Amino acid sequence: MIQQLFGFLSYYIPEVVCVVLMTTLLVAESAVKEEYASRGKIIGYALAMLSVCLFFLIQNLGEAPLYIFHNAITIDPFSTLIKIIMVLGTMGAIYLSFSSKDIYPNLKSEFAIMAVGVLIGGMLLASANNMLTLYLGLETLSILSYVMSTLKRDESTSTEAGLKYVLYGGLSAGVALYGISHLYGVLGSIQFVEMATKLPALEGTNLLVVLISFMLFFVGIGYKISVFPFHMWTPDVYQGSPIPVTAFFAIVPKMAGMAALLRVSFIFFTSNSALNVSWVGLMLVISAMTMTVGNVTAIGQSSVKRLLAFSSIGHVGLMILGVVTLNGEGVRAILFYGIVYMFMTLIAFYITSHLSDMYGSDSYDVFKGLIYKHPTMAIIMAGVLFSLAGMPPFSGFVAKFNIFSVVIEKKLYGIAIVAAINSVIALYYYMKLAKTMIFGQSDGEVKVLGFTPANQAVIIALFIPVLFLGIFWEKVMIISGNAVLFTK
Amino acid sequence: MNGILNWILWLPIIGAVAVVAIPNAKDNVIRWVTLLTTTITLILSVVLYSKFDTSTAAMQFVVKFPWIEQFHINYHIGIDGITMLMTFLNALLFFICTLSSWTVTKNVKAYFALLLMLQSSVFGVFFSLDFFLFYVYWEVMLLPMFFLIGIWGGENREYAAIKFFLYTFFGSIFMLVGIIALYYASGKGVDSFSILAHQGGKYVNETVTIFGHTFSFEHLFFWFMFLGFAIKVPVFPFHTWLPHAHVQAPTAVSVILAGVLLKMGTYGFLRIAFPIFPKAAVDSSTIIAWLGLISVIYGAFCAMAQDDMKKLIAYSSVSHMGFVMLGLSAMTVQGMNGAVLQMFNHGTSTAMMFLLVGILYERSHHRWIVKPDGSKGYGGLSTKLPKYTVVFIIGMFASLGLPGLSGFISEALIFLGIYQKFTTITVIAVVGLLIGAAYLLWMFKRMFFGEVNPSTEKYEDMNAREVFYMIPLCICVVVFGIFPSPLLNVMKASVGQLVDLMAKF
Repeated sequence: MIQQLFGFLSYYIPEVVCVVLMTTLLVAESAVKEEYASRGKIIGYALAMLSVCLFFLIQNLGEAPLYIFHNAITIDPFSTLIKIIMVLGTMGAIYLSFSSKDIYPNLKSEFAIMAVGVLIGGMLLASANNMLTLYLGLETLSILSYVMSTLKRDESTSTEAGLKYVLYGGLSAGVALYGISHLYGVLGSIQFVEMATKLPALEGTNLLVVLISFMLFFVGIGYKISVFPFHMWTPDVYQGSPIPVTAFFAIVPKMAGMAALLRVSFIFFTSNSALNVSWVGLMLVISAMTMTVGNVTAIGQSSVKRLLAFSSIGHVGLMILGVVTLNGEGVRAILFYGIVYMFMTLIAFYITSHLSDMYGSDSYDVFKGLIYKHPTMAIIMAGVLFSLAGMPPFSGFVAKFNIFSVVIEKKLYGIAIVAAINSVIALYYYMKLAKTMIFGQSDGEVKVLGFTPANQAVIIALFIPVLFLGIFWEKVMIISGNAVLFTK
Repeated sequence: MNGILNWILWLPIIGAVAVVAIPNAKDNVIRWVTLLTTTITLILSVVLYSKFDTSTAAMQFVVKFPWIEQFHINYHIGIDGITMLMTFLNALLFFICTLSSWTVTKNVKAYFALLLMLQSSVFGVFFSLDFFLFYVYWEVMLLPMFFLIGIWGGENREYAAIKFFLYTFFGSIFMLVGIIALYYASGKGVDSFSILAHQGGKYVNETVTIFGHTFSFEHLFFWFMFLGFAIKVPVFPFHTWLPHAHVQAPTAVSVILAGVLLKMGTYGFLRIAFPIFPKAAVDSSTIIAWLGLISVIYGAFCAMAQDDMKKLIAYSSVSHMGFVMLGLSAMTVQGMNGAVLQMFNHGTSTAMMFLLVGILYERSHHRWIVKPDGSKGYGGLSTKLPKYTVVFIIGMFASLGLPGLSGFISEALIFLGIYQKFTTITVIAVVGLLIGAAYLLWMFKRMFFGEVNPSTEKYEDMNAREVFYMIPLCICVVVFGIFPSPLLNVMKASVGQLVDLMAKF
């Protein structure tokens, strides 16, 4: 029995690496002197360990699906690819935290510890194969997130963000748990597979209870990926948190939540037609509302962090359209979108972070005339903004194209039109920022200190996939297409 | 010989890369490299014309290889008679624009690099035979335009750039929905993204349900595509972006915008909207004709009311593109030939007008025919600038359709084509010609005749560079006015094929 459990551990190396990393970081943090150089070493160690984790994940990518720890965890190509995206996002955020002034010097390694902790929660969520694991993942992810958002302790906006996050998070997790308990009551199991086998036979009151319980359960996930109407916390938390944390929140919890949403939708809503119809309808409405609310509200923002927060809501709205189709193409579209979105978001936050460190603000004004100060960075930022808006030849277009195409394949033209109009709205606010950056006159010859050669090199390296995947996207599409989600 | 299209398409990009690589201070080297690139492109397009087989409607110089095999997306380019003319026009106008941009001093490197990228993406739109490739070029073209208007434009350039961008993007996103719908309607097969494979009215009997209402597949997506192309043309009521974009854009960009970019809209009708949705196009031809008519008359009246020369020419473009729409709606041999010819002729004559406005602007730094305070902006130019006046007269008369110059032939063909189908519209449309003559002659009178305005005393006449780049356009306007057959022969087969197709529905 014990031996068998240890045997399973070998399939679980990436997670184990992360746990080891987190604990050793804890020890190192208290043992090492508070000097810049030693901080650098700690960050370097964290990045190296995450690269090891990434290496094992890439090794796992082609493997057959596995169910370990008594069916509590699934290791399938789908979860592995989601984990790769999350690990890359975490590495990006940790690297940013090192140079960002938003994270106090004595908290840099704490940021890394908590980021890895959230990552572990996210990995658990992506692999969850029963309700308990799922809930554990959700909570691991959330609790450390609350702490992360208050890392800028002596600023009231940061503590406000933390409080809002914890209140919202606590409530929605409670509602989700309430839903899960009812699901257990009706279906008599917490194992996804066993629960799913009981679904086709349901009718009458039980069906209604199950449907309502799933909606309650969706509150928990919906709040993590910040869909309408559970998105209210997003702008405030994004704005209040230090920028590396915001960048991290925009990627890791979202991808984890999206993975859980996909898995749950696939397991539970393909068998029973009544459930399927209601779930698809719900997702359509939520997607349309999320896109519209996110994009329309983004127009009026004057803070770039808030702009990116609302735009991320818009992007999630579009991604959810990949869920409604409940087929492999939908999963593929979401995974491709996730990969591209991760790169775009990281670059946008990197550049915003360096500018906001320089000027102490993240309003549009700090971007003014960037083209005259740092032409390369301004061009890359403009490219990312156009990519986020879904303009070819950038990869954002391919991502959008894929989502559109899965929706239109299902003949859901109405929602396709809603999405089309939304992408015009989105273009408008991205263009406003691009306009400030490129058409605005520079206020002087001030060089932005954050754009050191190393940082610029990282930004350029992150931009390569944004451009490359817009033109030669077949390889990554095949990888995303192979990352099938196993539901048995 | 097949590789020649690739060269035309990618040479500007190579030029743009070269321009970017040149150090900032060497403005003149940048200008000469750009000129060299556009000259070679022009020569290649002439070579292309000489090798072009006018007897067939099939695509020529085709290059095709897989790009994204999973989706059956190909890098598929080729030209037929219609695109042959557009290719030549595009190569010619960019050559001329490089020369006319010699006086640009702000960020010379970025300016010429963007100009070359714009040229390549416009070629891409005309060459693409794959929907995905077409859409990519169609959108990519917006980026250099956005920056060219936004950085080098006039006072209100930011507003104009954003309006232009958003408007076009709005239209094209609906086109994207249409393209994807076509992809699935054709069954995701090998040719699902091939523009040619969709042609011929294959979707006449299909239906589409949106929010519980059933629509005909053909009609719905015809209007989706219509939206995308009509905004580009622009057809009334989608024309509101055009005056802003033109007035704010630098001279060369205005020339390109009016000369080739507007033609992409009508080209879209010819290559995509009409042949793929022929039944819907035939059913909607009356609406298209009326919209074209409104564009003709409304554009002409708007032009008459302008005190700003550039705005006047911009509205005259709306009016002249309305004639193209009229010709298209006829769906007869004369009408279609006239429309395509008008696309070319409007490209040359309107380019002349915008260049002339630009030349005068460089001397006076204003474009007022009548200044806002009521005083005359210019006056008596004919005595001071004789060479300028001669070129202006040629351009103006070509534009208003004087017999013997190019505009007349295309407009006459259009009227011949639509008279039998839409008699009333023809009669009203002729009035548009009259108004056109009125506003152009009136502008001419106010600027060139009368007392010499004190402020115009010091102006120098056109210099050698300016004369040099106006000559090819003057030749086009005069020669094709008397002898249009080199143009008509090239497009005859392709237009004929389209007319035959439309006649079946």
